[in-house]
Amino acid sequence: MLNSDLTQQIRDKARELLESKAAECVIGYETGSDGAIARPAFIYSPDGVERLVFDDTCTHNLASYLVNRKGKATAVVLKACDARSLNVLLQEKQVARDKVYAIGVACDGIRQAVWGRPKGELQDRCKACQGHTPPIYDVLIGQPTSPDPPAPSDFSRVAEMEAKTPEERLAFWQRQFARCIRCYACRQICFGCYCQECFVERLDPEWTGIRVAPAQNQMYHIIRAFHLAGRCIACDECQRACPVDIPLSLLNRKLEEETLEMFGHRSGLSAEAQAPMATFRPEELE
Amino acid sequence: MSLSTSSPRTESARRTGQGSVLTKDGLKVWLGRLLESHRVIAPAVEDGVLFFQPVSRPQDVVLEGKTAISPKGWVHPQTEVLFRVERRDGATALESPEEPPQQVLFGVRPCDARGIKHIDKVMLAEPSDGLYARRRERTALVGLACSQAWPECFCTSLGLAPDDASDVDVMLTLAGDIFLARAVTEKGKALLELAPLEDAPAGEPAVAQLAKFPTDGLAPAMKANFDSKYWAAVADRCIHCNICTFVCADCYCFDVRDAHVGGTVERLRCWDSCQAYGFTRIAGGYERRATKGERMRQRFAHKLLYYPEQFGEPLCTGCGRCVVACPVNIDIREIIQDVLKMGVKSATARAE
Repeated sequence: MLNSDLTQQIRDKARELLESKAAECVIGYETGSDGAIARPAFIYSPDGVERLVFDDTCTHNLASYLVNRKGKATAVVLKACDARSLNVLLQEKQVARDKVYAIGVACDGIRQAVWGRPKGELQDRCKACQGHTPPIYDVLIGQPTSPDPPAPSDFSRVAEMEAKTPEERLAFWQRQFARCIRCYACRQICFGCYCQECFVERLDPEWTGIRVAPAQNQMYHIIRAFHLAGRCIACDECQRACPVDIPLSLLNRKLEEETLEMFGHRSGLSAEAQAPMATFRPEELE
Repeated sequence: MSLSTSSPRTESARRTGQGSVLTKDGLKVWLGRLLESHRVIAPAVEDGVLFFQPVSRPQDVVLEGKTAISPKGWVHPQTEVLFRVERRDGATALESPEEPPQQVLFGVRPCDARGIKHIDKVMLAEPSDGLYARRRERTALVGLACSQAWPECFCTSLGLAPDDASDVDVMLTLAGDIFLARAVTEKGKALLELAPLEDAPAGEPAVAQLAKFPTDGLAPAMKANFDSKYWAAVADRCIHCNICTFVCADCYCFDVRDAHVGGTVERLRCWDSCQAYGFTRIAGGYERRATKGERMRQRFAHKLLYYPEQFGEPLCTGCGRCVVACPVNIDIREIIQDVLKMGVKSATARAE
């Protein structure tokens, strides 16, 4: 379906929801300040719906904003992959289902989009799209273009990494983490990182402290990756947000593969599924 | 504003003629000599990312492109030890940190050099910060005029120029396939003495041209719109990470805390960000700026109101890094123009 049609349908739905007061805010996308790349938009009145757009630069996972609007009736535009994060938030009781109106979009893929630069090729996550149809929605915009159930993730880069020696892998990650500036953009953009206070900023007990140095950075990233095991829905927004191009998705893909192998679990496919890291079964004592 | 080939500065550089030109090979020779006596910090690529970092070979220096982060960390490190306390034989010993090395920041853009000047104004104002002052004394800046502008660049709107040499010790300007080299300070003159300067005829200097937007009346407009709902509205999409403040050429705020390392305690000074929840948390847990809107207003008010009131110019040099880096497109150029559009009207309305 053409993006202009998707845009029109999203605007129509947003107007309807705001006029009927079914939602007090619609979170969608608008054109960014370079006139080309989309950015998140918060629309509170029917007059504002003309700002909404949908195109192949709508990269953000807007489910990230839902926890901040806990308890307030909110409509949100969710691509198929992003909708899985709504399922995870519901599983984890972070949002109430009746306060969220999910405008699901069957999208044809998102391109690499950097402000002020020409659009790039299709994003990696879209090349290995796990299903164009959102697993949860209140209204579906666009036509699903691939059959369900969703395809598995692409773990080929994990396999490449695992072909290296432990020393090579360690050197690789140490180099990546050494250049981290701990801006926490990866954490802040993540729908799953909603803790009021992150362990990395805890003063008592102090896990890492404020020192920005390779060992501390490494601890931050490894623990963050663990906290997302079985929860990350592979939107790759952390990697996109990183100002120094740390390949965080590679770490997340590894844990996704592990959770799949050990628990047969894929995150966010349903709101009722049990999260492997929050479930104890005696037979797992091994 | 025309920034093309005949600015008075580059003309005079050309007129001084004798020995004011460096070939690309000559530049490498110079870098090699600088490396013998200095730590050289220059843009170099790591995993595809361009960074200011210590280099050990002239051929690793990359003078095209823009670094992901400004070089401010080499004068105001993201993490630095202010002092160490150690217990030895039952007594407590206080140790100063190592003396900073003699260093050259090589290939610094005019916006980034102005950023360091802005930090100087804060850190070197009396009573000056001793550690910063010592590091700054031992740092020389070799500037590089921009021959290309990036879409996010807006230095000219804030009164800078892509070939502005006012904040560097040596200025390099690309002209054809050679560099015009000019010593701006005594420190720069000493450095250039190591350079194999030639008086080969120079080509036309390549200096970027940028579109300019008006910024007059910004501080009063910021003040007038302090209580505007605008800040909360823009902050809706802000994810309150620290990316804008950390990639910034100017932001200098820091936190100081103690860290235990074995039997030693180190007092650390580390960059901090006004965008982070917790930045203004005080004893008892009270959070002075608890909402994203208040924190966002703080960032722009510091840049466009408080700093100008104190030092006479905005705490922004138009490098545009925050514009590109922000994952949700909070764009300072847009903020500036919105605030100017709101003007001082709302304040007048309140007074009436």
